[in-house]
Amino acid sequence: MDLLFYALVVQIASIIVIASVRNNHKASAAAHLLLTAGLVLGLSSSFPALVFSNSSSLNFSSLLNPANIFRFDSLGLFFLNIIQLVAIPTTIYSHSYLRHYIDEGKSVTSNFIFFVLMIVSTQVVVIANHAILFLICWEVMSTTAYLGILFEKEKRDVQTGSFYYLAVSHVAVFLLYIFFFLLHQQTNSWLMSDFHNLQNTGSLFILLYTLGLTAFGIKSGFMPFHFWLPRAHPIAPTIFSAFLSGIIIKMGIYGIFRTYQFFNYAPEWLGWLVLGISLISAIFGVWYALAQHDIKRLLAYHSVENIGIIGIGIGVGFIGSAYNSLPIQILGFGGALLHTLNHAIFKTLLFIGSGVIYQNLGTRNIESMGGLVHRSRYFFILFLIGSIAISGLPPFNGFISEFIIFNGFFTTAKELKNYYPLLMIISAVGLAFVGGLAVACFTKINSIMFLGTERKEIKKFHISNYEYLSLSILAFFCVLIGVYPQPFIGIVNKVLNNGFVTANHSSELLNINWLFISIIFIALLAAIILIFFLKRLIQKKYGKRISAPWGCGYEGLNYRMQYTASSYADELNEIPKSILVYHKKVQSPKGIFPAKGSFESHSVDLIDSKILLPAFRSMSKLICRIKFLSYTDIRYYIAFILITITIYSVIAFLWN
Amino acid sequence: MELTTFVRGIISLLVVLGFAPLFAGLVNKLKAIFTGRLGAPVLQPYSDLKRLFRKETINANSSSFISVISPTINLVAVVIAAAMLPIGFERPLISFEGDIILFAYILGLARFFQILAAMDIGSSFEGMGASREAAFAVFAEPIFFFTLGSIAFISGLTSIYEIYHSIRLDNVTYIVFIIVCSISVFILAVTECSRMPVDDPKTHLELTMIHEVMILDNSGVDLFLYQYSSHIKLFIYAILETSFFYPFGIRSYTVAIVIFVVVITALSISLAIVETITSRFKMKSIPHYLLFATAIGILNLLIYTFTV
Repeated sequence: MDLLFYALVVQIASIIVIASVRNNHKASAAAHLLLTAGLVLGLSSSFPALVFSNSSSLNFSSLLNPANIFRFDSLGLFFLNIIQLVAIPTTIYSHSYLRHYIDEGKSVTSNFIFFVLMIVSTQVVVIANHAILFLICWEVMSTTAYLGILFEKEKRDVQTGSFYYLAVSHVAVFLLYIFFFLLHQQTNSWLMSDFHNLQNTGSLFILLYTLGLTAFGIKSGFMPFHFWLPRAHPIAPTIFSAFLSGIIIKMGIYGIFRTYQFFNYAPEWLGWLVLGISLISAIFGVWYALAQHDIKRLLAYHSVENIGIIGIGIGVGFIGSAYNSLPIQILGFGGALLHTLNHAIFKTLLFIGSGVIYQNLGTRNIESMGGLVHRSRYFFILFLIGSIAISGLPPFNGFISEFIIFNGFFTTAKELKNYYPLLMIISAVGLAFVGGLAVACFTKINSIMFLGTERKEIKKFHISNYEYLSLSILAFFCVLIGVYPQPFIGIVNKVLNNGFVTANHSSELLNINWLFISIIFIALLAAIILIFFLKRLIQKKYGKRISAPWGCGYEGLNYRMQYTASSYADELNEIPKSILVYHKKVQSPKGIFPAKGSFESHSVDLIDSKILLPAFRSMSKLICRIKFLSYTDIRYYIAFILITITIYSVIAFLWN
Repeated sequence: MELTTFVRGIISLLVVLGFAPLFAGLVNKLKAIFTGRLGAPVLQPYSDLKRLFRKETINANSSSFISVISPTINLVAVVIAAAMLPIGFERPLISFEGDIILFAYILGLARFFQILAAMDIGSSFEGMGASREAAFAVFAEPIFFFTLGSIAFISGLTSIYEIYHSIRLDNVTYIVFIIVCSISVFILAVTECSRMPVDDPKTHLELTMIHEVMILDNSGVDLFLYQYSSHIKLFIYAILETSFFYPFGIRSYTVAIVIFVVVITALSISLAIVETITSRFKMKSIPHYLLFATAIGILNLLIYTFTV
């Protein structure tokens, strides 16, 4: 595994390159090349480690790994692979993304440095064994992401949105400090590998579990902690929003898995709590997404939805753990792990796609797009693959993981009997409902953005080969995992066997008839192509032509008469009045010679506006009360710090 | 899979594909009779399909490749869904643990592309239909899971074939179940196949339709594919309904065929009656209608809780 260490060194070396070479274009190209090489090198060391070796045989040589501060178990390696797999296309895209800014004369050096540090620290987070190393890397990861978001810091919404992100990250980290310090106090060790089997912590058990899950849950964006996602994602540079949504929120999921691993047991109420919160996150995440017009904001809400789906899997796994039922645990956790991988892939694809559009059109508002398919068909196909995958439709990867989670529901009902079938039906209906809403949402954005005719004149629409390459890599994996899931299922199964459950290899995950599903999907794709060509032959015989669309005899159809995103989603947005506050301001044209009419709509996130913001406001009011202590002179503050430290030391001294 | 099972599965699928337009023709004929008209012959859908097949295809000038591939994807997805349904007591062509999920989601794929193809034209008419289709589908999905899904959860079986096999007509709980489920499936069929009172397939007003308005700009072989897949879709729901009534213990072709014909006829009569005596709902009240069906599905759960 020393190779991985060198890979990280190569990645960091790209910072030196970009900082030392004078010519901006060359520096950026070389640095990106080096970073990509480092990531490929890393993947080539971590992928075989995950697939071929046993967890025990892996390690850095003792020189690099004093006192076991790193560890390479299957869970960490699984996430390491996801990070590297997603970081490679993001880096490739980053090259063409940053080139635009270099052309504008903006310096991208600092932004690139933050990007590299973020990638490297995220990789170290999942292999860190020492709690302090974990916390340091976690901080570096959060802070560099924050600094990256600040790229266009002169904009007002960038300042506020990034502050939300910073504040939330710090709350999460604060809870993590308490969590790890308590764990250290319990086990007398800083190593995560020593934290295992903590069932017998007595009264601290619930406290520890809630602390861990809350801290990591905040990071992943479960409701009601989701509010930072739709604020931070739209304003972040695309490379950062792609990585934030694809990877960094998954670090919360990683943490939740680790927390579970420490205790290796979950009480039943916790399973229900996680399942309930996740269902709510999934349903409302997608419902709020449907009302958005800002493409990145919409995708951010979809991250909440997908984190919810992952959480549903974890919840099912927890219930299985409470009843000590292996099949339930395997299907629940397995579905969650695979969906983590899948979501990382298609969400990065969609974010990069939206970034490409933003760069070309200069807007994130989908209402002013349209007809992009006539500019670049191939780009639309790639975006469409991601959209079908995220909607959980066959034959792409989103379906596979949702299928496993559905199987988890079925197995829970079958194994536990009693009132469980009832509760599982309700969960399954919830997940099906989410699927239906996701279809509505992604047909909306695909059709409004890409189909029909252009709503606003497009001056140029250029997609570079790097952008195509990075999108194609991600789309390839969407298709591959969908059509040929067996190897990926095998990997997930291995992670579960080596970390959570002691199952033999004939586990429930492998018992699903994957071969049959692959055959059906391949037959599906083959039949579509076959009938497509048959249709061509028929059309050759009976004729085919192009004509204007039907307009009830009206000839002057124009782009303004197309259905808009608001009108498309109106049917659904009208329904949940109590949950989704959806404001419409209509000024209809009046009179025989109507003057201008107008229509305006915007939605308000209820959890956000009714619960969180008032809470923050009253909190800041409270804090303002102690503002009499604020001075302009820094020496006062130094004095306060000294006094505080003295008080702490005295208490610590007396305590011992 | 054994060869004979495979061949039999193929034959069942061919039965579905062959008889699907006949069922639509039957419903239309009955409806005409009930409203006091002579009506088109029962075999009219076949002639319609043949006519469409030979027509010239016209694509809108604002449309893209989505309009070209969507009809094919629609047909293939619907045929695969049809291949999962048991005809009589025969094992269907596609049958594996969890195929009930694939069934629901593959129809979702067909819907996804149908909506995209409608929006592809860039006209408000299609947009209206697409918007309604997307909205009502969201409410139709839970109905499916509350009916067939609830039997799956309770019996612990996840393959449609086995779910139907597990139904025992000598058990009172199951009889109540079947009655409740067949009502839900009926409502589901009405919604998904755009029949009255949710949608009116025969109207000419673009503003009031769902399915028909989505394919307004299609013609020739494209329209042929759409029409044929919507015939198959209607027949799929008819089979979902009939399969509740097989006594699976008896493996006799005569009994199976008799039951099949009887239930299909009864179903087409009830569809025709509903279409005759009701008018189309206001668009705003359709979600209520669907929630009503969901509530019936929840009845299933209550029955279950009281009997266990």
